[in-house]
Amino acid sequence: MAPLQASTEALNYTWVLVVSFLIFFMHAGFAMLEAGQVRSKNVANQLTKNLLTWSVGVAVFFLIGSGIASLAGGGGWGAAYSASGLGWIDWLYGAVFAMTGATIVSGAVAGRAKLRAYVAYTFLLAAVIYPVVIAMTWSSTGPGLVEVITGTAFTDFAGGMIVHGMGGIAGLTAAAILGPRLGRYNDDGSANVIPGHSMTFAVLGTLILAFGWYGFNVGTSAIYSDGFLAEQLGRVAMTTTIAMACGAMGAAAVAWYKTGKVDTLYVANGLLAGLVGITAIPHTTSVWGAFVVGGLAGAQLPIVFSFVEKTLKIDDVCAVFPVHGSAGVLGTLLYPFVAAGNVAIASAFIAQLVGVVLIGGWTLTATAIIWYVFKMTGQARVSRSHEQEGLDVSEHGVETYPEFGSGQDTVVADGGEVRTDGGTVDMTEDDNE
Amino acid sequence: MSESDDQDIKMVVAVVRPDKLGDVKEGLAEVGAPSLTVTNVSGRGSQPAKTGQWRGEEYVVDLHQKVKIECVVAEIPVDDVVDAIRESAHTGEPGDGKIFVIDVDDAVQVRTGDSGPEAV
Repeated sequence: MAPLQASTEALNYTWVLVVSFLIFFMHAGFAMLEAGQVRSKNVANQLTKNLLTWSVGVAVFFLIGSGIASLAGGGGWGAAYSASGLGWIDWLYGAVFAMTGATIVSGAVAGRAKLRAYVAYTFLLAAVIYPVVIAMTWSSTGPGLVEVITGTAFTDFAGGMIVHGMGGIAGLTAAAILGPRLGRYNDDGSANVIPGHSMTFAVLGTLILAFGWYGFNVGTSAIYSDGFLAEQLGRVAMTTTIAMACGAMGAAAVAWYKTGKVDTLYVANGLLAGLVGITAIPHTTSVWGAFVVGGLAGAQLPIVFSFVEKTLKIDDVCAVFPVHGSAGVLGTLLYPFVAAGNVAIASAFIAQLVGVVLIGGWTLTATAIIWYVFKMTGQARVSRSHEQEGLDVSEHGVETYPEFGSGQDTVVADGGEVRTDGGTVDMTEDDNE
Repeated sequence: MSESDDQDIKMVVAVVRPDKLGDVKEGLAEVGAPSLTVTNVSGRGSQPAKTGQWRGEEYVVDLHQKVKIECVVAEIPVDDVVDAIRESAHTGEPGDGKIFVIDVDDAVQVRTGDSGPEAV
């Protein structure tokens, strides 16, 4: 290998490794964001789901998902375990994107999904759902499925639709089938607010996610290819930053208009929606386009959240659909209208629309089938008493914020046996004989 | 009562605004009753309900954050203690709180084992 070629490869792959680590760090953001938005009795459950999404998901993506992606993309069974060196860097780079999509779902099904149902769904998402999505797009050996159908390629630079749109639609579908948390809706259909337990964690998680997002978007561009890719790197960094800022401002403005107050959580969610909005198109969007995409992605958030909550009556606990789903779709569809260069608007828009429908339709269908099967077999939701007690104790046997009981042998008030497996602390059953 | 019956032990329980705690501590120290126990509590009385907000939606909060002060006295006249709390916790708005005076049967000091008014 010529010295220049070797240096270029070293430069690009060093960059890929660094951004993979940045994208991995987004799991810290998701964990904090979701933990803050759930009640104190469900925090450990939410944290466990985030830990297991990464752990189960990345192992499954290594053993099965990468093989399915390559098989469905026309490249034969090319699972990552038979790769080496550079192939494993490529695999890790793909895996951190895949797991970002997978972890979005946990926020939508918070507070009532059974852990085993969630983990089983994560397995299937990492093994089949996401690999099929990238087989249509990034992993396709020939032209992508959209180009085959419409003659124009589908544009999704860093995964605005492929990762975030997919995750948001999957979350909404799972939450719809699972049903709302107890007490979320009254008999007449009106909604009750269930505040999360820590605004501080939610905002910390938001900003950690935003930090990792630079890896996600800017890291999708290589550093060097027939010259230093400064034009692309700079544009992606600029549009990502401007859209993030405008997302926060857009959501703040609409929340202010609707309620007369600048709602903190809407500002935080809006910042992420702005990032999601630009993620499909950060490399083509003009300066003014970045303002438009970010502003609209933020502004739609309070409106879409109300629609999901009040009209669809779906309990999307962490607002994952307005943040990842609708914002991702919006940004993907806006591509030809906000591009800096000349884009044939009609054909590009049709290609984007077909891509959104294919990815959204596949994700919705596969997710619906899986959660319906869980529901029919009674494996989707925890019992009513476990939900009331909180998933921390009933699913994990832990309390996130324990008060008393440290020290010597703990004695229960009625002299019965202390159970920590969560199985029999049920108020409605008499298990303490 | 274990020892002398000439001095009653009284517990003054006051529920006041959290931001008045510093003033109440100062007021109690001035009348010679600096010992107290403080708990964060929620409750409702004449103070109107307020609204909280989560992701742009309002919900009613009718339990207000207060602090409960428990102050047990024997030698100090209980009226002085009550007046000190009332004056230092007063703003004149609904939600200033309540003060209750309760008879205490006995007291024991953990360190010395003293009981009765001596223990207070």
